[in-house]
Amino acid sequence: MAASLVRVVRGGLGRSFNIARSSCVLQQQSRLQSSTTDNRPTVRPKDAVTHKQLAAFGEYVAEMMPKYVQQVEVTSYNELEVMIHPDGVIPMLTFLKDHTNAQFKSMIDLTAVDIPTRQNRFEIVYNLLSLRYNSRIRVKTYTDELTPVDSAVPVHMAANWYEREVWDMFGVFFADHPDLRRILTDYGFEGHPFRKDFPLSGYVEVRYDDEVKRVVAEPVELSQEFRKFDLNTPWEVFPAHREPKEAAPKLEAGDAAPEKK
Amino acid sequence: MAGLLKKTTGLVGLAVSNNPHERLRILYTKILDSLQTIPQDAAYRKYTEQLVNERFNHVKAEPDVEKLEKKINCGQIEEVILQAEYELRLSRKMSEWKPWEPLIEEPPANQWKWPI
Amino acid sequence: MASTAATRTAAATAKVVKPILSRDLDEAKRRVRELYRAWYREIPNTVTSFQLDISIRQGRDKVREMFDKNKHITDPRVIDILVIKGKMDLQETIHIWKQRTHIMRYFHLTEEPRPTDFLSKFYQGQDP
Repeated sequence: MAASLVRVVRGGLGRSFNIARSSCVLQQQSRLQSSTTDNRPTVRPKDAVTHKQLAAFGEYVAEMMPKYVQQVEVTSYNELEVMIHPDGVIPMLTFLKDHTNAQFKSMIDLTAVDIPTRQNRFEIVYNLLSLRYNSRIRVKTYTDELTPVDSAVPVHMAANWYEREVWDMFGVFFADHPDLRRILTDYGFEGHPFRKDFPLSGYVEVRYDDEVKRVVAEPVELSQEFRKFDLNTPWEVFPAHREPKEAAPKLEAGDAAPEKK
Repeated sequence: MAGLLKKTTGLVGLAVSNNPHERLRILYTKILDSLQTIPQDAAYRKYTEQLVNERFNHVKAEPDVEKLEKKINCGQIEEVILQAEYELRLSRKMSEWKPWEPLIEEPPANQWKWPI
Repeated sequence: MASTAATRTAAATAKVVKPILSRDLDEAKRRVRELYRAWYREIPNTVTSFQLDISIRQGRDKVREMFDKNKHITDPRVIDILVIKGKMDLQETIHIWKQRTHIMRYFHLTEEPRPTDFLSKFYQGQDP
């Protein structure tokens, strides 16, 4: 009885979801065709309660610190993201850690994202967890290659190695870090491998040289020219969301056909 | 009294408090004091005062520790003390940072636009 | 890194930038000189402790060459980043975190210059 009741409620939710979001209709129809016995939609159920809670907390944070918060958003997977100005890293993290209503005491992750087209190409991402309230928050800020970001080590000890990693992989400098040095790359390694402009093959290749009796590094020399690999999966991941292939431009009479390469 | 009955908090590094009411009273008074330096209309002062006053009233009204823990509903009384200590430290730092001021700088255009 | 960053900072000169360590070029240059001095003094220790097959003179010439490689840079922030990296390098050398191979990599002993004219490219089997 109870199970069937749940199903009815689910179905109703799915239906209302359908009306609200017409973009999902297509996918659901194809699912319905493929499975006749089980006609529940497989779309992610919307968790309105969590969403509302997170949105409310996001607004609370933004109201508390209007000086630093630039934007607050809750993603479709119910993750709260707070975008802040780079000057506000320490105040924001301290506030989230020490405020009684937040208590984000543990730093889960700190990393960077490189988007070279932007004016500030690096996004620094802090993932925090509040054990007291069982909730997570993501704080994001930005910087470029030459602007130092305040180190989060005075607030979260866990940030120490993460910041070393970001420094090593992206070359973002953290001001007042107690022990900033390389952590993943080899000594003498040049460049920052996670930058988008770092070549896939690297700059040097190493081998053991019998004449000098040591490992030597030489500029990388590919025996083959760089090839373009097709990394797409052969399976269709979202068949219902396939974009219509662009039709070949129609030729007017008298136009020359485009050259085939 | 509580110290006699309660042997441990079960949490590493957190000793049982002998006189939680006194400790909380001191801490909450200090927090409210340090909040006085923050402008009246700042959201931080408003919400924190509300929060602290609510807990302070519980502390004043309820002499029994266990019932007080239930009323505050934020863990054991020692944890509540710890939270108050952190809040006090934060409120002092807050008056230094002044986060209630308007936004220092707008983000560059398309900084938070995704996908680009 | 330096070039792209330099163009970008040149574009945004109107904006006040956050200094990394030095507020102006003189201070940055002072830091460079300090670093150079530290490297200069460290070379004899390096040569003995790593048992390198080079003279102290050669080592110092190499340090000078590497500093000269970046002498065209005038942005104090770029200089600061390079000085920071140089300091980390020095630290790795002093504590002997590096090994002999890492030190000797600076000298490029085994690298052969890439062929430039047609015939030597042909002999090497590389496409022209």
